[in-house]
Amino acid sequence: MFSTSSQRKFWTFSDENELARLREKHNYFFYARQNSHIDEQQRFTYFLSPDEERQLLKQYELHLKEFCKRFTPPMPKGVVGTAFHYFKRFYLYNSTMDYHPKEILATCVYLACKVEEFNVSIGQFVANIKGDREKASDIILNNELLLMQQLNYHLTIHNPFRPVEGFLIDIKTRCSLANPERLRSGIDEFLEKVFLTDACLLYAPSQIALAAVLHAASKEQENLDSYVTDILFRDAGRDKLAILIEAVRKIRSLVKMVEAPARERVRLIEKKLDKCRNQENNPDSEIYKRRMRELLDEDDVLHVGSSRMSLDTSGVTQVLSPSAS
Amino acid sequence: MDDQACPRCKTTKYRNPSLKLMVNVCGHVLCENCVDLLFLKGSGSCPDCNIVLRRGNFRVQLFEDPMVEKEVDIRKRVLRDYNKKEEDFNSLREYNDYLEEIETIVYNLTNNIDIVETNKRIEQYKKENKELIMKNKAKLGRKAIELEELLEKEKEYEELRRQELSRLEQEAKRKKIREKEALIDELMFAEGNAKDILNTFAQTVANKKEEEEVVPMVTQFSTGVQFTRGSTNQPIPIIEEGPMYKYEPLAIPDRCGPDPPMIKEIIQNGFLKHVRAENETEKAGGYTSTLPCLRALQDALSGLYHAS
Repeated sequence: MFSTSSQRKFWTFSDENELARLREKHNYFFYARQNSHIDEQQRFTYFLSPDEERQLLKQYELHLKEFCKRFTPPMPKGVVGTAFHYFKRFYLYNSTMDYHPKEILATCVYLACKVEEFNVSIGQFVANIKGDREKASDIILNNELLLMQQLNYHLTIHNPFRPVEGFLIDIKTRCSLANPERLRSGIDEFLEKVFLTDACLLYAPSQIALAAVLHAASKEQENLDSYVTDILFRDAGRDKLAILIEAVRKIRSLVKMVEAPARERVRLIEKKLDKCRNQENNPDSEIYKRRMRELLDEDDVLHVGSSRMSLDTSGVTQVLSPSAS
Repeated sequence: MDDQACPRCKTTKYRNPSLKLMVNVCGHVLCENCVDLLFLKGSGSCPDCNIVLRRGNFRVQLFEDPMVEKEVDIRKRVLRDYNKKEEDFNSLREYNDYLEEIETIVYNLTNNIDIVETNKRIEQYKKENKELIMKNKAKLGRKAIELEELLEKEKEYEELRRQELSRLEQEAKRKKIREKEALIDELMFAEGNAKDILNTFAQTVANKKEEEEVVPMVTQFSTGVQFTRGSTNQPIPIIEEGPMYKYEPLAIPDRCGPDPPMIKEIIQNGFLKHVRAENETEKAGGYTSTLPCLRALQDALSGLYHAS
């Protein structure tokens, strides 16, 4: 149940400002850790600004949606929702410059498949990815543990899909709305857009689901207000109803504001990112390859001199998660 | 007795006093030699009625009339399945009807009346009363074991008593010898009247006999449990148990939303009309459509009051 979940306790935030603050903080942390000679006033000429990061992530959320849509075998909705949650949660506490969103995106979907019991092997999974598949599977498996750690192992996600079913059953039973099934297309469209917003980090899944149902109803020129006020909130106080109405209004306005970032701008951001990203986490960089080689050599040394029992794993954790501490 | 003859080789009791007539399930007689000859391979057909017989089923003829033998055989077979007891019936009348039915079946089979029909009846009965037959068979087996145990116990007891008796006898004999020696010693060395001495000895012997009492044999433990070899009917020992488990309903966490309907309400208020009904296979696994319905409703209502 959502009310007792880690999702509510740790991953549902009070408002958008709190999210923005977190993102800004980790954007600054990255700059601070780099020890570069660029002074603070000019840091955004080289590094990404928080706003640029937002734009980039929005673009990658669109990519995530497309990737899931095209995925074979076709993916259940719950997997997509869970992947979105992971992706958003990860970048609340990490910067895109540390971990490239395209790598985290694939890892999120892979982990979501596992958690939502949608069984695909890594081989099947990377078959959906263009380019070097072996490299892709290496990246995904390398990042999987890091991702789980950054999510603090809060892997259970409460998606709005089941609440939607609950509302439809309830409306069919307790409300006189004619043919509630026709709301479905509107609901699906709404929920697809909801995941491009921060709504799932701010509101309960049932609130999002109710917003979707109400939105779909208004699109069909139906009014379900009396269902909400007289049936759902009959025994609840006025204050609770006011909170819900505000939440629904906010979710709907968030969805209305969804727009794809300008393509040209994203292209420039990506170029900038290629320069300023943390090379230690770039699988194509020399520094990353060298470290991998060192790690392998270290392994060999350890195996040869097995009498020395102390395992030096500091290198491993550094490669997996330099920012995790 | 003279007219006892093997129908195949025409040997009579008169000509061959060691003639042994054998009979099989069909009720036809053969002498032992013919059986050896005909059933060399273990099985063959009866020369009279061509029924396939097994050699192992030949028995020595006990009754003069081979039909009786056949009847006994059939009865044994029928009773193996028709093993109900009087206590399995509600009334004496029913039990008598049942016995009557057995007699009819046995009679039919012995006299070759409606054999197919009767066999069908037996099969039918077997199918219908499979459990009871098995139970009674097991009971019979238990009874046999109990009986055996009882016999064994009796034997043991007998043995013990025999040993005791011989021991007592020997002791008495030895005592007598000792007394006799004592008497002779007394007579040899004492200075009193020989008659008096004889009298006093006779007196003590008589007294002793009265005093002697038979020590009862130990055939049971001090608790009163009989010495037996691990009886099957031993009472199960009562194990000391802790306090009884008491069910306490789970505390319902704060739902942060309106209360979802109870399972009873889901069924009564028609929520189930809008959920896919479970099929037979799912039912077998314990799944009912109320479960997903309840879960969806709970999820829909939980968190509606959530305030950021």
